[in-house]
Amino acid sequence: MGLRWYHFAAWGAFILGLMALPELVSKGALRTIIFANYLAIFAISWDLLSGRTGYISFGHPFLIGIGAYTSAILTKRFGVDVEMAIPIAVVVTMLGGLVVLLPALRIKGSYFALVTLAFMELMYQLVQVIRPDLTGGTRGMSGIQTLTRGAVNGFYLSSVLMVIVAIAAWLLMRTRLGTALTAVGLNESAVEGSGLSTTKLKMVAFLASAFVAGLGGAFYVHYLGSIAPRALFDINFVFTIIVAVLIGGASTIIGPIIGAFFLTFLLEYLRPWLPGAERYFIYGGIALLLYMYQPKGIYYMLQSGWARLKGSTS
Amino acid sequence: MIQILIQGLLLSGLYALIAVGFTLIFSVGRILNLAYGAYLMLGGYMYFWISQSMGMPKLFGVVIAVAFGVALGILKYQLIVKTLRGDHVAVEISTLILAVVLQAGVVLVFGDSSKILLPIIPGVVYIAGVPVTYNILAATLASWVILGGLYLFIKNTHTGRAMQAVSMDTKGAAISGIVPDHINMITWAISGGLGALGGVFFASYTQLAPSMWVAPLIISVAVVIVGGIGSIIGTLIVAHVVGFMEVSVVSLLSPELRGVFTMLLIILVLVMRPQGLFGREEL
Repeated sequence: MGLRWYHFAAWGAFILGLMALPELVSKGALRTIIFANYLAIFAISWDLLSGRTGYISFGHPFLIGIGAYTSAILTKRFGVDVEMAIPIAVVVTMLGGLVVLLPALRIKGSYFALVTLAFMELMYQLVQVIRPDLTGGTRGMSGIQTLTRGAVNGFYLSSVLMVIVAIAAWLLMRTRLGTALTAVGLNESAVEGSGLSTTKLKMVAFLASAFVAGLGGAFYVHYLGSIAPRALFDINFVFTIIVAVLIGGASTIIGPIIGAFFLTFLLEYLRPWLPGAERYFIYGGIALLLYMYQPKGIYYMLQSGWARLKGSTS
Repeated sequence: MIQILIQGLLLSGLYALIAVGFTLIFSVGRILNLAYGAYLMLGGYMYFWISQSMGMPKLFGVVIAVAFGVALGILKYQLIVKTLRGDHVAVEISTLILAVVLQAGVVLVFGDSSKILLPIIPGVVYIAGVPVTYNILAATLASWVILGGLYLFIKNTHTGRAMQAVSMDTKGAAISGIVPDHINMITWAISGGLGALGGVFFASYTQLAPSMWVAPLIISVAVVIVGGIGSIIGTLIVAHVVGFMEVSVVSLLSPELRGVFTMLLIILVLVMRPQGLFGREEL
């Protein structure tokens, strides 16, 4: 895998910095960071699938929603323990990932994006109609068992989860498998020509993405304690996930994390000036400009800035 | 039964009008314009502003709304599509961001609450005992006239044929002396205008709300996917399939299942026959 000492140093510094945060910042900022952590998990999940393999998913809440709803329904309606419900939710989400895989075997590009969008809308409508006694229908569910109390505990839980997901995804991408996945995004037929099964590779990417999405979704619902279809299966939610990845830098691990924190804090800092949905006007505008200026993202900008500082030839 | 037939026919006409602008961009520019729904929304709001807030004549409102749509289409092509030329994923994602920005902009100007649009042509007529508002009747007739006109425009005029040529092969079209850039811009302008017009009718059929752009976008997507790209006739036929399916589901099964079968149709067609039912054999 080619691990070097500075990799350990960088991750160590990152983890130490995160763990020291509750001493440094206010409770309010911690709550914001919790949301940023979950957004980072969803962004990494999206990046595993779309950033690497180039199969753009516009329906990622489909997967997150399966994880969140499964765990919520199991704990609230059937009295299953959270320790059992979350793993079951993850497995169910991975089955959902296989469902999304089916169209990806035949179609690419814009068409794949559209079919995932259709999956999300389908889920949105079905959740409200099929067994509203279980899903809570249009209103969703509330009073779902929460795992933690208070901002500090929630922060530690979400941070640990995010760091584990990030390191696992990072290690996965440093294996030969990760290289092959990135190659699928660059040129799928060339990968096939090298004698690798793209179907298997895509399956790995979809399952890994679904695993992370399910895990994130299940923990998220047990943090929030409530769930509603319109908040979850929403095009604004897709927008936030995708933009977090792209603004941070696709096909990296640190990129989606940077993007998630940037977006969450941007949205939070706009709150005093623009309390309502108008925030999205500025927020989306900044996202659009940043994306138009550098589609490769903040991480790439930092890298090239660092390279220029060091004076190496660009 | 007769009620399903009449309502289905009227709704399908509206859907065809909504979807055709989206089809046009997808066929000629090969770009998934996720901000298309936002054109509809802005067209509807523009009409609302001119005709109901300012009290100007309704026809003037429609004209301004369409002109606004055309301007938006051109602006978007010049500012975003041309800047990110060639990178389809980037264009699609920036259209998605743009749609969210436009939605927030509407909230900023008009507020979050939904608004009822007065019918463009008031009154109700009974056809075979089924009440039909003049409004949706006008939308359906307008849609047929526009689709017919568009079909003739694409088949018979020089610009229309140039659009076809660009849609088939941009390089080949450029060699034959067509400037693909101009053709693309014209396509974006027409698409914007059609979207805004569709939005006026759609908004008077449902209501004006900042989040109203998602539903027509999904319908357009369904129609384009199932119909296949580059086919106006396909658009017309599939708009009727979707429209009749929705009306039948609402009146025979349950109003809540309205969109479910449309989604299933999209997924099924994409998995079974990715080029659509009437599209070209390419992907």
